[in-house]
Amino acid sequence: MGIVRTQDLTFEYIRRDEEGNVEGITTAVDKVSLDIAQGEFIAILGHNGSGKSTLAKHINAILNPTEGTVWVDGMDTSDEERVWDIRRTAGMVFQNPDNQIIGQVVEEDVGFGPENMGVPTKEIWERVEESLKAVGMYEYRKHSPNKLSGGQKQRVSIAGVLAMHPKCIVLDEPTAMLDPKGRKEVIRAIRALNQVEEITVILITHYMEEIIHADKVFVMDSGRIVMDGTPREIFSQVEKLKSLRLDVPQATLLGYELQRRGVRLPSGLLTAEELADALGQSLGAE
Amino acid sequence: MLRDITLGQYYQTESVIHRLDPRVKLGGTLLYIVSLFVFGHFLGYAVAALFLAMVIRLSHVPFRFMVKGMKAILFLMLITVGFNLFLTPGEELVSLWKLSVTREGVRTAVNMAVRLVMLVIGSSVMTLTTTPNNLTDGMERMLGPLRVFRVPVHEVAMMMSIALRFIPILMEETDKIMKAQTARGADFEGGNIVQRAKALVPLLVPLFISAFRRANDLAMAMEARCYRGGEGRTKMKPLVYEGRDKIAYLCILLYLAAGIGAGYLGRFLGI
Amino acid sequence: MSMILDHVNYIYGQGTPLETKALDDICLQIPHGQFVGIIGHTGSGKSTLMQHMNGLLKASSGHIYFNGEDIYDKDYNMKKLRSKVGLVFQYPEHQLFEIDVFSDVCFGPKNLGLDKKETELRAFDALRKVGLPMELYYQSPFDLSGGQKRRVAIAGVLAMNPEVLILDEPTAGLDPKGRDEILCQIKQLQTDTGMTVLLVSHSMEDVAEYVDRIIVMNKGRVLYDDEPKTVFAHYKELEAVGLAAPQVTYILHELRARGLAVDVNATTIEEAADTVYAALGKVRRK
Repeated sequence: MGIVRTQDLTFEYIRRDEEGNVEGITTAVDKVSLDIAQGEFIAILGHNGSGKSTLAKHINAILNPTEGTVWVDGMDTSDEERVWDIRRTAGMVFQNPDNQIIGQVVEEDVGFGPENMGVPTKEIWERVEESLKAVGMYEYRKHSPNKLSGGQKQRVSIAGVLAMHPKCIVLDEPTAMLDPKGRKEVIRAIRALNQVEEITVILITHYMEEIIHADKVFVMDSGRIVMDGTPREIFSQVEKLKSLRLDVPQATLLGYELQRRGVRLPSGLLTAEELADALGQSLGAE
Repeated sequence: MLRDITLGQYYQTESVIHRLDPRVKLGGTLLYIVSLFVFGHFLGYAVAALFLAMVIRLSHVPFRFMVKGMKAILFLMLITVGFNLFLTPGEELVSLWKLSVTREGVRTAVNMAVRLVMLVIGSSVMTLTTTPNNLTDGMERMLGPLRVFRVPVHEVAMMMSIALRFIPILMEETDKIMKAQTARGADFEGGNIVQRAKALVPLLVPLFISAFRRANDLAMAMEARCYRGGEGRTKMKPLVYEGRDKIAYLCILLYLAAGIGAGYLGRFLGI
Repeated sequence: MSMILDHVNYIYGQGTPLETKALDDICLQIPHGQFVGIIGHTGSGKSTLMQHMNGLLKASSGHIYFNGEDIYDKDYNMKKLRSKVGLVFQYPEHQLFEIDVFSDVCFGPKNLGLDKKETELRAFDALRKVGLPMELYYQSPFDLSGGQKRRVAIAGVLAMNPEVLILDEPTAGLDPKGRDEILCQIKQLQTDTGMTVLLVSHSMEDVAEYVDRIIVMNKGRVLYDDEPKTVFAHYKELEAVGLAAPQVTYILHELRARGLAVDVNATTIEEAADTVYAALGKVRRK
């Protein structure tokens, strides 16, 4: 069994009108079953309101399923006794960097998680050091978070989770509020975690360029998983993605437009190099 | 105006004062404030000023940061000085219309001003050299015994440190919302009191909503990082007295003795 | 009918050691009816520039003329300027405060001292222009989706009938479809009303398709000010200052480097597909 597994996960909440009467029930996550292996880089795509954030919050036991089950490293998230073990196994990074940094100094913030876990002082310092180094923020350890750029703050948040030595990190649109430079920094840090530290990454985003390197992509719409596969498989389906309010990388889109004009190209080209190679081959073949 | 408050603003640098145990700094500041009211003689104030100057020097914090904190209480100080100056009965020096300035008035006013200035600068030194987290840690430890009386010491300390962290963020936000509403023609400056209060609605409603949203997010982030109250927590920076802290306590005691001594000396010499 | 910035400087924290030149000798002329993109990364001075244009910040030195009048003249009516130059801040939905959408949009015109009828007419008009469905007019703005809230906030500024509309990152945090929708709507608005629009953004891709002119800001200075294709030709210099040309530019340069005679100045996918297709045709004919 994988590090994160869900079985028919359903989450409903009750909408009420101003007088508190039940207006209806919204199903935010609808019978989602997935199995994520240790060490994978998973991306979850979906437009705003597709249920991807709600799904993510289940992995950290912030939300509990209305129906179905979520297992994190074999632990059932609805088992209240294991909540803290689950949260240290699957760490979570949120969208707004300002609203998740607790410490007044970078290193104090990174130490917050280990402190809560009751890690001995000496080890906290070791963990803080290695975590900050892993995201390239060690030289800023004495800085105030308020003086950092968005990308730097988000890397501090990642270090804060890393210091808890999780097996899996869930990142809920960590780049949505950043500029392109900050986005690049954060994505680079996340890829390093996955490749060097071999931590399972579950990245939720709606920036297509960020998921090219994922092992597997899930696409969500109205609470369901409507597509899954490798980035290439997903991005081959330009029309379908567009109908789901999503997009494809520009190289993919250009390849698609050329296909439509009759150029013989494989689908789902992800980068400029791939496109150039494919065009070269297509010319050579004739 | 809001941005001028230095309280709760840590000034990042390396110094002996920065490294002191927050309990020393808290206790020291408290004693210092008390001493300002006990000394009651200008020689005593001179000692207090000298001591403060030395501490500031040691802290490596530029002096203007301390003065910044003064701006916020300038108004309060003017009122205090004004009241004392005009309303203290005694030997009349100058008379303006119905108000008269007395010798005693001048003395109390100067006394008051000097005390207030040193008090504010003294506490600024503490907040500028201690990270708020450290400060609340110190308070938590010093107030620890109150836990016996079911005072939620840890929770209060945590709340304070979070409040301090969010002050600059919310101030920035206030500024932004104010500008945005100004761009929609809102006027925060003109009009009478009622109009002004009404003009604040477009500022306060978004600000409250944002504060609640942030609080909600933060609570979730804290839980996600296994926060569950003070129980079972370890400390990254536990408070342990070191050599320099003992020396600092000694310095404070020496200062108190010097200040009190100076007062006696002054009275003995009749100045 | 235009805006002229004449040697505008803005020094932040003047007289303190933190003194920084946020704007450094800016000279710009923005004729009426143009659609301009202002690009720069965080801290490049683009937001500061924008706030100068409607008098929220006052230049340390230099002059700004709006429709031939110096806005720093003693008897210049700033309130009138603010109604003529509408400013939509980043995440404008965070400024909504009224009990329903309609009242919120009325806030601006009401502040201009218009009578009730005129105020309401303008609010209706503005809401119609941003394409918000009528049934949402009397809902609480806080019950709307992210994209809808943003439309309401933009309508709040439009209701002041500005001649110039400045938007700071109007697409931040939206999903791809939401981004396209908002930008299309703004473009539509600009074509229909002939309004001058300034779009502040850190993404070249977002603006490339829509604007007539791009102003690139870096360290408080204007780095480039030209039509998009000319600006993107400097893609290497842009990269050096932490910005990037649209991906298409990179793809085309990659193809050109591999010997395909494409026109590297194409800025949209459509144009790129055409030039690649044409170039492929030439190769085949040979």
